[in-house]
Amino acid sequence: MLKSLRNAAVALTLTLATQGAMATETVKVGMSGTYFPFTFVKKDQLQGFEVDVWNEVAKRNDYSVEFVTSNFSGLFGLLESGRIDTISNQITITDARKARYLFADAYVVDGAQVVTRKGSDIKGLADLKGKTVAVNLGSNYEQLLRANDVNNEITIKTYDTGIEQELMLGRIDAFVMDRVSSAQLIKEHNLPFVQAGGTFETIENAWPLLNNAKGEKLQAELNRALIAMRADGTLATISKKWFDADITAK
Amino acid sequence: MNFDVTYFLEMIPLLLGYLGLTMKMASLGLVFALILAVNMAVVRVLKIPLLDWLVQLFISFFRGTPLLVQLFLLYYGLPQMFPVMVGIDAFSAAVIGLSLHFSAYMAESIRAAILGIDKSQMEAALSIGQSPLMAMRRIILPQAARIALPSLMNQFVDMIKSTSLAFTLGVAELMARAQMEASSSFRFFECFLAVALIYWAVVVIFTQLQNRLEKHLNRAYQR
Repeated sequence: MLKSLRNAAVALTLTLATQGAMATETVKVGMSGTYFPFTFVKKDQLQGFEVDVWNEVAKRNDYSVEFVTSNFSGLFGLLESGRIDTISNQITITDARKARYLFADAYVVDGAQVVTRKGSDIKGLADLKGKTVAVNLGSNYEQLLRANDVNNEITIKTYDTGIEQELMLGRIDAFVMDRVSSAQLIKEHNLPFVQAGGTFETIENAWPLLNNAKGEKLQAELNRALIAMRADGTLATISKKWFDADITAK
Repeated sequence: MNFDVTYFLEMIPLLLGYLGLTMKMASLGLVFALILAVNMAVVRVLKIPLLDWLVQLFISFFRGTPLLVQLFLLYYGLPQMFPVMVGIDAFSAAVIGLSLHFSAYMAESIRAAILGIDKSQMEAALSIGQSPLMAMRRIILPQAARIALPSLMNQFVDMIKSTSLAFTLGVAELMARAQMEASSSFRFFECFLAVALIYWAVVVIFTQLQNRLEKHLNRAYQR
């Protein structure tokens, strides 16, 4: 009798202890680790804007964040099969994606930017006719370009990696990337590139979540954290650290 | 040309840290692929009804579709149909994919090796009352192993290099690390040269092992 009581007490303590530990929810965040300066690896250390934002969200929401790195083309598969909870890789909100996923509020507001070599005759989107323009595999820039290219005059090439290298080598005439990271790219590595013209199409980037109970819960929690981080300037501070500019402002 | 020697030399030990993961995938893949392949080859040579047809279908599919497609089907596709399959982690999925894919090639190499053994060997074994399976195991396969070795090694080398596809499933292996480091340093040449040399060195080492193994298996044939 005494023994079974003691066992019950031990069991209860154990249950309470595990519940206490469960309070810290594990959130798995997928990213490519190859998108400088959002998510990249230097000297074996995963870092970047996305990593900083998530560490801050984790602190506020008492999450234990686990970063999962995968090739960009695998990220949505990971989300879809429930192996990660969200993707933090500057995922642009599109209608097609909105139809399938829940999105947290946008944390980055940006635009598509044409980037070309210095001295090129390309001065903006209008000059891309007859040129070869590269976009990254899995990005939505191809659709954006096509929407602005009614007569199908732009040759679009898709790359998995090394788009900058291709422009340097002259295999492509320009590439389309988001304004912020292309600026950062040129500055950091002293690349002989210029941004041609202004941005076309404002894009909002956010974290996609599965459309289920956990996704809804995370959406509410993430939005709460984002509002607080905007209000006290933390989000802007993280942005300035990586970009010398606030790319999070709406 | 500006080749950053220091950066290149720094990359090698850093990347070598991930060679273990790559080799673990490749060696597990080899073990499972060989087991599958030997069985499939025997089924095909002995023309076991129904099984023979299934094996032909298996080989046709796994040789006829790209490894990347198979990995995607296995890791991202099947869990949508069968939710329990989400439990398979990326590493296991990569090993399973590599095993299935390369077993199809290896089965054909082994089958060719078995067919290369003079049929008098099988006939002799049968004449003294061994069953076809027993004769296969005791008489034919040990001889076929020697013949199959070079082409099996070919496929193993291919498998080692194919582990680089595992990054699409989220396994941060050797090639993934090289890609990630290159994406922040923009030292593509240094990173990819380092990773190329590592793969090459591994393959050279295995080729040496193969030579020794071949000598060992050839002892009985030497005069």
